[in-house]
Amino acid sequence: MMQASLSIINFRKDEEKVKRKKIMKAAVTAALVLTSLFLLQCLLVPKYATDVVEGSLIAEYYQEEKDHDVVFIGDCEVYENFSPRVLWEEYGINSYIRGSAQQLIWQSYYLLEDTLRYEKPEVVIFNVLAMQYDRPQKEAYNRMSLEGMKWSGAKVKAIRASMTEREEFLDYVFPILRYHSRWEELKSEDVQYLFDRKKVSHNGYYMRVDVKPAENVPEGNILADYQFGENAYDYLDRMTRLCRENDIQLILIKAPSLYPFWYEEWEQQIEDYAEKNDLLYLNFLEMTEETGIDFSTDTYDGGLHMNLSGAEKLSACLGRILQEDVGLKDRRGEKELSEKWQEKIIAYEAEKERQYKENMG
Amino acid sequence: MRTKAKMMLLTAILTAALLGCGQDAKVIEGEVKNASDEAKENPEAEDTQDAADAETEKESEEAAEYKGYAFIYQDVVIEMDADAAPIVEKLGEANSYFEAPSCAFEGIDKMYTYGSFELDTYPMENKDYVSAVIFKDDAIATPEGVGVGDTAEKMTEIYGEGTLENGMTVYEKDGMKLCFILQEESIVSIEYRSTVLDE
Repeated sequence: MMQASLSIINFRKDEEKVKRKKIMKAAVTAALVLTSLFLLQCLLVPKYATDVVEGSLIAEYYQEEKDHDVVFIGDCEVYENFSPRVLWEEYGINSYIRGSAQQLIWQSYYLLEDTLRYEKPEVVIFNVLAMQYDRPQKEAYNRMSLEGMKWSGAKVKAIRASMTEREEFLDYVFPILRYHSRWEELKSEDVQYLFDRKKVSHNGYYMRVDVKPAENVPEGNILADYQFGENAYDYLDRMTRLCRENDIQLILIKAPSLYPFWYEEWEQQIEDYAEKNDLLYLNFLEMTEETGIDFSTDTYDGGLHMNLSGAEKLSACLGRILQEDVGLKDRRGEKELSEKWQEKIIAYEAEKERQYKENMG
Repeated sequence: MRTKAKMMLLTAILTAALLGCGQDAKVIEGEVKNASDEAKENPEAEDTQDAADAETEKESEEAAEYKGYAFIYQDVVIEMDADAAPIVEKLGEANSYFEAPSCAFEGIDKMYTYGSFELDTYPMENKDYVSAVIFKDDAIATPEGVGVGDTAEKMTEIYGEGTLENGMTVYEKDGMKLCFILQEESIVSIEYRSTVLDE
């Protein structure tokens, strides 16, 4: 009797052991599959390290200290035209550029929401060229603005607002679904930057030192409708409101880029909006005397974007306004921040030197 | 051992499924054709007008052979998404040239202005393709005989009812668009556009 009971107990124990073993094996299998897929995803997603480096800009912000006085949001007219180093060195203003290629206004708005999760700057500067777009444009640009964002409600909303008809939300959650065919074009950088990305900006500024004078810049073609769209205005309203609620001064700017063409009808709408909402609006296209920008030496691509010389002149002019008119404080006396900037300036100078050498060679 | 085999099989299936499933890619098909001329240069002279009409008719017939709407300028056929190099060569030196590197992407969008029209190109795999032809004045017309300054009625008579897109009247054909901007029933702008870069 006793022996029978013992063998039943042993049998049950064996059964449980087998069951546990099976569960363990299934768990290990699942973990291995998921890890493989994760590694595959890491390998296949674009690294934006040597080509199309602009795709790295948005993600770089998260590695920074979050104590900025000024945060820029907008398209290439912010990340190629302003140098935070000059704002720091000449005025003691700590700034960061959350710019990305063809950043649409809803993306700028959600990037602002995202930024407010980490810090509350005194000033937010938005470049108004993006007002020309009222609906999603191109997936490639969407991905460069959105993929680098950390997951949050702001990112979810940004994706939903940005997706073109052919895009799927799930492709943003699992980028491998979108990039699985990239295996054919993998390069050494895909392995090199499998987990860590190469730093490509200086507080969000994308440096270029080469020179290409602005010549034959075309006038704008006739448009069917010069009125900015309702959706664009809606996000500008939201941005204005969000800044107001957080006691942040919103400044609208139009960078001095000569192309794409900035129409008089657009200018009027922005001037009216700024006046109605009591916002400071700076159109640097009309401030050439103050900025000192010379389009024969200060642009690297014929007037679309500033080169280093142009960006530094423009930043010096902006810094003056931020200090004298907006009243931002000079923080160069803060030891810790100054030390951080010293490191940044060394990296900035090294990049500058590298580019000058490359251009001369 | 069996578990390992299962695991490897599962990974292989998932990987194959991911790598193998359909992927949409941008396809360039340089098959959109153009045609135009300077038929409207001397509208007063009846003979010239007749000749121009005949020429327009001929070009219109020629254009019908092309895929999409084509623009012809001095016998040079300009098709949307066509290889730009031979077209630019045939057109000769442009009055003005401007190039705009696209934000973030490699390659340069180019704009050639030839007096009465602008020819735009986009880069793709080391080649430039025609992205647009934009009329700059009323000295030229489409091969079908419509130019800037003509009436909306004439446009509808020739091209039929177009669709309204962003304030423009658009005629889409074979993957390209012929766009008209109207002001008070008069044509103020005509553009041939590729749709390749739309998405």
